[in-house]
Amino acid sequence: MKNRLKELREDRGWTQGALADQLDVSRQTINALETGRYDPSLPLAFRIARLFAQPIEAIFQPESDSISP
Amino acid sequence: MTSELDSGGARSAGDKARARAYHRDFWPGILGYGIVLTAVLLWGDLDGPSPWRYVWALLPVIPAGWVVRAVVRHVSRIDDYQRMLLLKGLAVGFAVAMIASLTVGFLGIAGLALPAAGWIVYGAGMLGWAVAAAVAQ
Repeated sequence: MKNRLKELREDRGWTQGALADQLDVSRQTINALETGRYDPSLPLAFRIARLFAQPIEAIFQPESDSISP
Repeated sequence: MTSELDSGGARSAGDKARARAYHRDFWPGILGYGIVLTAVLLWGDLDGPSPWRYVWALLPVIPAGWVVRAVVRHVSRIDDYQRMLLLKGLAVGFAVAMIASLTVGFLGIAGLALPAAGWIVYGAGMLGWAVAAAVAQ
């Protein structure tokens, strides 16, 4: 899954650690999310969406080949 | 590309707080284990005739239980991604320990009894955990 987490974080001038603290996760987890090594759980995705005041689908998009017809 | 906002390998305030909480839980258990183990080795007389030697032999389980409690509390404090990494490592370590245990057992049946079989199983499991955790990072 692709996401705009890094872009949104940098727009606000936050470090990975600052974002991690706001979401109550580790900095390592933020790094894994931003580099696409980890897809968040639904509760974490909702927390991210709430923090950036955007719908989940505006932040996370499935890879084009993973969308079923 | 890494931006200036990516704080390298630096841990966040939450990471540090979780690490401190883990150390507060973990180290008293390890310290207690060391003290009890020393007492057992000094006064336990494990290869003597006293029936109390069985009690002495079981004593280290008490502080070891404290260490297990610390690990369980740590697992409940960390987030889903960290828990997944930790449990992957533990799963590999467990599998390696089980295979080592079976292998040592079969070698024993075949007539090659290894003198420190328990330590071989322990070492294999810990090594499997460490390698899997390093690869998963």
